[in-house]
Amino acid sequence: MNYELLKSAIENEAKLQGLTEYEIYYMADEELSVDTLNNAQNSFSSGNGGGICFRVLYEGKMGYAASELMDEEEMKSLVSRAKANALATEKPDTVGIFAGSESYAELKNNGYSLKSAAELKKLAIDMANTLHQASDKVTGGTVTAGVTAGFTIRLSNSHGLDLETKCGINLLQAMAVINDNGKFENAYDMKELKDEEIDLAEMAKGIVDEAVLKANAVTVESGKYSVVLSAKQMRTILSVYSSAFSGKMAQMGMSLLAGKEGEQIAADIVNITDDPMREGVSIQTNFDAEGVAAFRKSIVEAGVLKTLLHNRETAAAAGVDSTGNGSKGSYASPVGISPYAFCLEAGEHTEDELFAMVGNGIYITELKGLHAGANAVTGDFSLESAGFKIVDGKKGEAIKSFTIAGNFFELIKSIAALSNKVEVAVTGGFTTFGAPAVLIHNVSVAGQ
Amino acid sequence: MINNQSIIEEILGIAVSTGADFAEVYWELTRNGNITLLSGKIDAIADNTISGVGIRAFLGTRTVYGSTSDISREGLIKCARSVAEAMGEGRAEMNIVLKPTAVNDIHPVKINPISADNKIKCDLLRLATDAARAYDNRIVQSVGNLITVDHTIQIANTEGLFKTDRHVRTRMAVSAVASSGNENQNGSCSPGRGMGLEVFDLFPPEEIGRTAAAQAITNLEADYCPAGQMPVAIENGFGGVIFHEACGHSLEATSVAVGRSQMCGKLGQKIANEKVTAIDDGTIPNAWGSVNIDDEGNPTQRNVLIENGVLKSYMVDRLGSRRMGMPMTGNSRRQGYTYEPTSRMTNTFIDNGPDKNEDIIASIEYGLYAKSMGGGSVNPLTGAFNFAVNEGYIVRNGKICEAVRGASLIGTGSDILQDIDMVGQNLATGQGMCGSSSGSVPTDVGQPLIRVSKITVGGR
Repeated sequence: MNYELLKSAIENEAKLQGLTEYEIYYMADEELSVDTLNNAQNSFSSGNGGGICFRVLYEGKMGYAASELMDEEEMKSLVSRAKANALATEKPDTVGIFAGSESYAELKNNGYSLKSAAELKKLAIDMANTLHQASDKVTGGTVTAGVTAGFTIRLSNSHGLDLETKCGINLLQAMAVINDNGKFENAYDMKELKDEEIDLAEMAKGIVDEAVLKANAVTVESGKYSVVLSAKQMRTILSVYSSAFSGKMAQMGMSLLAGKEGEQIAADIVNITDDPMREGVSIQTNFDAEGVAAFRKSIVEAGVLKTLLHNRETAAAAGVDSTGNGSKGSYASPVGISPYAFCLEAGEHTEDELFAMVGNGIYITELKGLHAGANAVTGDFSLESAGFKIVDGKKGEAIKSFTIAGNFFELIKSIAALSNKVEVAVTGGFTTFGAPAVLIHNVSVAGQ
Repeated sequence: MINNQSIIEEILGIAVSTGADFAEVYWELTRNGNITLLSGKIDAIADNTISGVGIRAFLGTRTVYGSTSDISREGLIKCARSVAEAMGEGRAEMNIVLKPTAVNDIHPVKINPISADNKIKCDLLRLATDAARAYDNRIVQSVGNLITVDHTIQIANTEGLFKTDRHVRTRMAVSAVASSGNENQNGSCSPGRGMGLEVFDLFPPEEIGRTAAAQAITNLEADYCPAGQMPVAIENGFGGVIFHEACGHSLEATSVAVGRSQMCGKLGQKIANEKVTAIDDGTIPNAWGSVNIDDEGNPTQRNVLIENGVLKSYMVDRLGSRRMGMPMTGNSRRQGYTYEPTSRMTNTFIDNGPDKNEDIIASIEYGLYAKSMGGGSVNPLTGAFNFAVNEGYIVRNGKICEAVRGASLIGTGSDILQDIDMVGQNLATGQGMCGSSSGSVPTDVGQPLIRVSKITVGGR
């Protein structure tokens, strides 16, 4: 059944059951990937899927039900299940189903252009060959992949709102395993395929050099250090702690930013924005999971918290307007909150200038285990790390097998300098994160 | 379920029609439920039906995988043709005769958690979150989730295998937040089993709530953990995540078969202290990581991975078996039909050892007692791992002393296995969701209290 037939089946059943305020949220996805192993094509996978979620306001409460089974009987079942779930829910709904925003911005991305299987195969094999040519240390277990994925979201509701957005992304992934005189190590990189061509040789060299450096890395003495976090690692930290900026987490008592709007929460050089149509970002949308128009906003300006992120429910509770950040982790999820392109904006220094400002310290280029070692409720983190020593203001020898520990809310207050280049990347789901490299003093390091 | 056997045979025939030497069809119907209780009220109830098919073909060790949520005959044929086209351009035929085989269900369910009345489930959740809030007036929030899964699969392949199985599981996750006004700390407890609602006879909801609250209060009163190398005693249950991360992933064919594991070529070698015997057992009745058959249709089994320190076995799926020339071990798993299966752990644990628990603590002059562990991750190639300590205490002169928070443990698998120098006698398991290339699957980790003679503790 196509979407229009599914929608019609749901609407008919809703009418039969006397339901007047409801929403249909539909997501379809397609994905294609070609992998290589040891310089030859290894696997090919493709997938087409999607699901539909019905949510209904019934007796003053919201109920949800979702399914991937796309037939008329299941659509009838969805309506009955959502109604039953609404009845058992205890929280009164305060906002209902959204009638629509006055206008929706035009998207700046290039639409939905996915690579073909042949293009992905060529890219993956070319990358594999380039990796193996980059060094005779590259060995068995080396893999590359070309991946393309596209999504279509439809949102229709009983107020007549009918919205659609499409987006897609194409990626090249590569991981080299190297054997450097019996020491095995690996390194990984991923680049998004856009209009400009990727320099495969440069990407391969970066991966192989990183693996070789890690293979020969030493550890460090425990102590307090001045640290430069690479743009990629600062971005990763931001992705973990972005939930602290959620109005829902704040209202649940699970964010230390609750009630801090208007207060200085970070160093005055810190500016954080969230922009659903940020230039150069492929995953874009002009409406959120409730149908509210999505727009750019300053979250932190000169270190001052300007707003938390809100959907309509948390905005109503806070007495403010929705920031258009209603989201669904999947088509089946209840409406939550998440950012679009959540970025710590750039400063004015080059990375080399940050190293010079440090003098002697540590440059962090890898953090691991953030899903367990970084706690968004408390802000505490303690993370396995790798990187380089900074010696006399310059990048020195590679280091690994140590941890850095601290607290995110203290970290953003103590950012002493920012690099002048924001690196953005999708880190899962529909959210893109971005950050420059940052300089922080007095970070706890556990090594030898 | 695809009731028409001839359609499955047709699909398999199409999948191998361009020269593949093996094909498999995996069908899934999963009904998920999730009830959230927040601030004393049922906040949201969501349910979801997942339905689709994955078709996989092999030619030697080259694989093609296609998945679709369109389970009409036309949809399945389209998916099978896309798999065949990606495999090659030749023409081939294979005589496929499916032999339906009943699966012996050793994980009986008494109260189906999906069809149970919402009110019963909401009341169970409320018992837990109310108990968390009542534990201490510094508990400012308790969030409860009741997660229920009813997962039916059907697997058929060109060798004639044709099996259907069903797996039900129930889990309650409670998170409590303690606040001193300007500082928050949290605690959690999330037991589960391959059972229905009768799981709460084993785990009374009030106990789940109180355990989460106690951990949050302990952490609120704790100072930061000191950093450095020290001996660490790791408690039973979810403490077994140390073996899961430090060694378990490195024993999966996913890594071993392509040379990306620290454990390659070490069968028969002594890789751990002789006190360490480690097992992966997918047959434990109603355990969180158990299934009757794996996601390639093979019965799960009890695999001794390490016996008295000697590496005895890897965990091997069908593709790994082809690459390694070793038999399959019933470890092939996947989150669902959109994922190609690969070798994964089920219920993995260090078995009881020779040491008395009290002797383990008494042996530590200065170190860390990790009472409750969080998750972690590993690089199977190098064995470098990390994991978080959710609740820890300093051990001084053989006595457990003040609580500390914010610690993590890092090291390499090969070192840690040798450095586990005391193994206690209170084996217990903890439940987790393990993420890897074939998605998120339920796994049990486990161990008795153990001592690691030295490990790097990340702290401040």
